[in-house]
Amino acid sequence: MSSDSQASEGEVYSLNMGPQHPSMHGVLRLLLDLRGEEVIRAKPVIGYSHRAHEKMAENRNTLQFLPNTSRVDYLSGMIYNLGYCQAIEKLLGIDVPERAIYIRVIVNELNRIASHLLWFGTFLLDLGGITPFLYSFDDREEILDILDQVTGSRLTYCYGRFGGVTWDVDETFLTRATAFLARIRERLHMYKQLVTDNVILRERCTGVGVVSEALAKSYGVTGPSLRASGVAYDVRKAEPYGGYDRFDFEVPVLHEGDTMARFHIRIREIEESCKIIEQAIEAIPEGEILPKKMPKRFKLPEGEYYFAVESARGHFGMYIVGDGSDIPVKLKLRTPSFSNLSAMPETLAGTMLADTIAIVGSIDVVMPEIDR
Amino acid sequence: MGKIDKDPKRFLPLVNRSATPVVDPAGADASADPAVVRLALLDDLLNMGRANSLWPLTFGLACCAMEMMAAGASKYDLDRFGAGVFRPSARQADVMILAGTISRKMAPVIRQLWDQMPGPKWAIAMGGCTIDGGPFKYPNQYAIVEGADKIVPVDIYIPGCPPRPEALIAGILQLKEKVKAGRKFNP
Amino acid sequence: MSDGLQALADLTSASEEMDYGKTGLHQRHTASLENVLKVGKTFLDEGYILEMLTCQDLREKEEVMRLCYTFNSLDAVDRHLVHVDIAGGLASEQFEAPTMSNLTGGANWQEREVFEMYGVTFTGHNELERLLLPEDADFFPLRKDFGRIEDADE
Repeated sequence: MSSDSQASEGEVYSLNMGPQHPSMHGVLRLLLDLRGEEVIRAKPVIGYSHRAHEKMAENRNTLQFLPNTSRVDYLSGMIYNLGYCQAIEKLLGIDVPERAIYIRVIVNELNRIASHLLWFGTFLLDLGGITPFLYSFDDREEILDILDQVTGSRLTYCYGRFGGVTWDVDETFLTRATAFLARIRERLHMYKQLVTDNVILRERCTGVGVVSEALAKSYGVTGPSLRASGVAYDVRKAEPYGGYDRFDFEVPVLHEGDTMARFHIRIREIEESCKIIEQAIEAIPEGEILPKKMPKRFKLPEGEYYFAVESARGHFGMYIVGDGSDIPVKLKLRTPSFSNLSAMPETLAGTMLADTIAIVGSIDVVMPEIDR
Repeated sequence: MGKIDKDPKRFLPLVNRSATPVVDPAGADASADPAVVRLALLDDLLNMGRANSLWPLTFGLACCAMEMMAAGASKYDLDRFGAGVFRPSARQADVMILAGTISRKMAPVIRQLWDQMPGPKWAIAMGGCTIDGGPFKYPNQYAIVEGADKIVPVDIYIPGCPPRPEALIAGILQLKEKVKAGRKFNP
Repeated sequence: MSDGLQALADLTSASEEMDYGKTGLHQRHTASLENVLKVGKTFLDEGYILEMLTCQDLREKEEVMRLCYTFNSLDAVDRHLVHVDIAGGLASEQFEAPTMSNLTGGANWQEREVFEMYGVTFTGHNELERLLLPEDADFFPLRKDFGRIEDADE
């Protein structure tokens, strides 16, 4: 397994995958040392979409950084955008109106479903199935349309405001969201028949790329990848934020830790998100969407703060240091994909080359989120 | 109601007229004297063929890549315009859609990919980042290249952050016009 | 605080309870450079994970480069922030700290990131090289004296 042991049979050769590679999800580059088809060492090379978010955060005020947040992870942009708002609100002690809390939960969960659907399509595309990609994008477009109607953008949302949200939702939005839930439940049934029960997928994924609980904890792996390794950790349950403690939902956990387990977890998370949205639509109250009195400048109080939300990929933490001005001294974005990918060298060692695609696909990385 | 602007081209992406001229397939130099044999009809025919089967490179950089994928997927279906055949290898592609922020680490890779693409080839700069750095342009920015045209000659610019799939389709249609017209379009 | 963490009292100084509701942190400790590995080991043995490692450039005000570790438990949220100060003013270039990458894999890349963004060398790290920036980059972008907005031409 280790690269040191130059085995007698077969020569070791290096293979470069990426940064332009159809299944490297953007600009990930993997340097693989192979003996035959066996990967004996994998080294991810990252930084091809480093955009200096953290430096920008130190040079502009808290409000000006708001549009950046959804571009850190563009697939769960809404969660990042609202997460950042929630962090600032907590620092400044701004109370969010009830209606805004429910709107946030609905759009957050819709965004999570959209992110999982995109992962579903591209993961299967990597494995050679084109049909599920076309189906899942069809569903995803429906979500994007619903969110487009209320936020005005399809991908990089800037819907959050400190204290609430930009626009109120109307009846059409709620009706369409309800209709979407019915639709996606039907589609999940179809996906089960088309994909999950497919013997080719099972053969390809079962027992492949096992991340043990100890390995996951050592590298700080979070999100669906951690839950597939047997740890029931979800920020929405562990440190409830933004009203998530009011909703009844489960944190799906599997213990296998392989690619198939990660697949199942995400599919089940879509179902759980549907449950949350359903409850939120039912209970959404009338009222304001922004507090009546707001400070003109959002001056960060002196001190250190840490705030975390659960993105579609795991624990997204913000470590903020304030000095009394409205420009943060330090804003560290602790992104889940960074930690999840850092566990890959150890996971990939000893697997087959063809499985590399399946394993890297199954942890669902978003490169700009890793590179920041 | 206000006056309706009837010009549909108002919303179309800008076409860069200063980009490098489209390479003549017959190898004839535009500025030289008229060649002995001019295969004008064949050129037109070839250009029409090229315009209707643009093969983009599978190449996503950041956020815009998602919209590029969406444009290729079921709802927007880039195949309708003959541009849905995304090629994994630069050697088979003739359009490079630069979809996303170009970091300084990525820039040499992009140049290498561009050099690997066989001519005639075209480049589409998709999104604000590839036009001038977009939302990441700020003083003392150390990480990104401010504009794709610093690396490759760009034919079509599509503004937006990210542009909608419709905008990408409009850009590809514009590029088709440019390709069909051959060098006449690009004085 | 769980019982296993009692050893922290000897290893750290200036430990204080934080207001979790307001700051999202439970406790803040300050550890010396010699003790940082022991502190890390205490947390990791108790089943905590290294959630985040970053750095703060305080060379101008306090003449230190401050490493900030957060440890958290996945079973019940209990977030500890550990400060480790490395002495050195604006003039000094050399900042060294012992690596935690032998204790927990998660430290590997995070230390590389701190190395390239702040120029803190982690002794004992087996592949301390550039992570996000090009290999030939020779600057530390997140240091406060790099690329200040008021220095810009525009």
